[in-house]
Amino acid sequence: MSRIPSTPIKTSLVRPAEGDKVVVGVADLAVARDASKSIITYALGSCIGVTLYDPIAKVGGMLHFMLPESSVSIEKAAINPAMFGDVGLPILFNKVLEAGAKRERLIVCAAGGAEVLADDGHFRIGNRNRTVLRKIFWKLNLLLASDDTGGQHSRTMTIRLSDGQIAIRSQGKESQLWPH
Amino acid sequence: MATLNDTITALERLPALPATSMQLISMLAGGGRDADLREVEKIVSHDEAVAASVLRRANSAAFGMRGRVAGLSDAVRRLGTRELCRIALETQTTGLLANAGRSYGLRRGSLSQSALGGAIAADSLVQTHGAGKSVDREIAFVAALLRDIGKLAIDMVAGPDALEKISAAADTRPFLEYEREAFGADHATLGAMLCERWGLPEPIVHAVRGHHAPPSNPVEPLTDIVHTADCVARWAGLGVGCDGLMYPFDAGARDRLGTTRADLEALVADILAATAPEEGNGLHSTGSPSGASLRNTA
Repeated sequence: MSRIPSTPIKTSLVRPAEGDKVVVGVADLAVARDASKSIITYALGSCIGVTLYDPIAKVGGMLHFMLPESSVSIEKAAINPAMFGDVGLPILFNKVLEAGAKRERLIVCAAGGAEVLADDGHFRIGNRNRTVLRKIFWKLNLLLASDDTGGQHSRTMTIRLSDGQIAIRSQGKESQLWPH
Repeated sequence: MATLNDTITALERLPALPATSMQLISMLAGGGRDADLREVEKIVSHDEAVAASVLRRANSAAFGMRGRVAGLSDAVRRLGTRELCRIALETQTTGLLANAGRSYGLRRGSLSQSALGGAIAADSLVQTHGAGKSVDREIAFVAALLRDIGKLAIDMVAGPDALEKISAAADTRPFLEYEREAFGADHATLGAMLCERWGLPEPIVHAVRGHHAPPSNPVEPLTDIVHTADCVARWAGLGVGCDGLMYPFDAGARDRLGTTRADLEALVADILAATAPEEGNGLHSTGSPSGASLRNTA
């Protein structure tokens, strides 16, 4: 993973929080070990929200990445690697391990990766975000437990750290992504 | 559901764009980029919020290293006409949009952030892909800033959860079609009507009307730019509500401007950084999460 920039991820003095919810913005990530909390990210369009969760250690993390590859802007990736799947995903993985999670217990889920209409294959950012997700997880030897990706609609993703339950709110309906 | 008449009545009840913005847009549209700085200072000093933004920007890191500004006149000289106009338009438009987009399920400030992101993208696209197309940077900035202004009218006529219910039943048609079915007009047309009522220059009215479907005959380069900027903002996750990504990306505009995947992805990365909400501006609730074991890594 030599491409991971050495610069630390952007820090903000005020992490948006809504009661017991830690809010992950666009191109942002958070890791927590606190069973009283949930981590939430709003309005995933072509972006992808990824969660890693260890049900024994009750450690969970979420990344909301925007674009597949950091090669598009090495400078931006150095300032904020959470923008890009290829560098953001390994960082999320390392951060949850640092917080006490064990690789073999990790439950991996993803949502988002929608596409605009009538894109004739030229841009397909949602699709390419889904591809980079699979590629990095394959390299990290992790398998997706559950995912809700593609289509045209937006999704809001929440993970509850007490039990790892993941809820997706989309098109006015709430569904459970994990456990199945 | 509302009739076209209801929707137009709602449109008529909306507040107008503040006089400061109107004066600046007329000045810019008239080719007034070289306008007398004193004239611009006079215009911006009439609005407290704008004057405060001007002072804040002049004292910000981007213009720093030269000591703090002494007052509005000093700030005006330091920033120059172009920057001043932008600050004024940004401040007033984003103020108008701060609470807009509720019917789309957007959180407070989302539509302002998306307006600004699109405006920055449009400005950049004019410079990188606008050669020989006679598109004015300032007009592109304003048109993109105002492109979703019609959502204010939809907010007024849409009942609670109306758009969410529409999106729940939607298939793969563009969202504008559902808006037309439910309200008699879509937000792009309503936005253009609003700009027309305000007496804004015609190219802006056209670009707002066509920002989801730029015309191919005759082509409108400004509309192509604003359409592309809108897609870039959406890809950056800005202003994505229950309408999701249910808007087409126009291949004609792509070919006419000659945009590539790398160009637009780089722009997506740029605008997100440029529109990140400032701390303490009320866009997010404050207070870091409690709990000693919480690890904030981002």
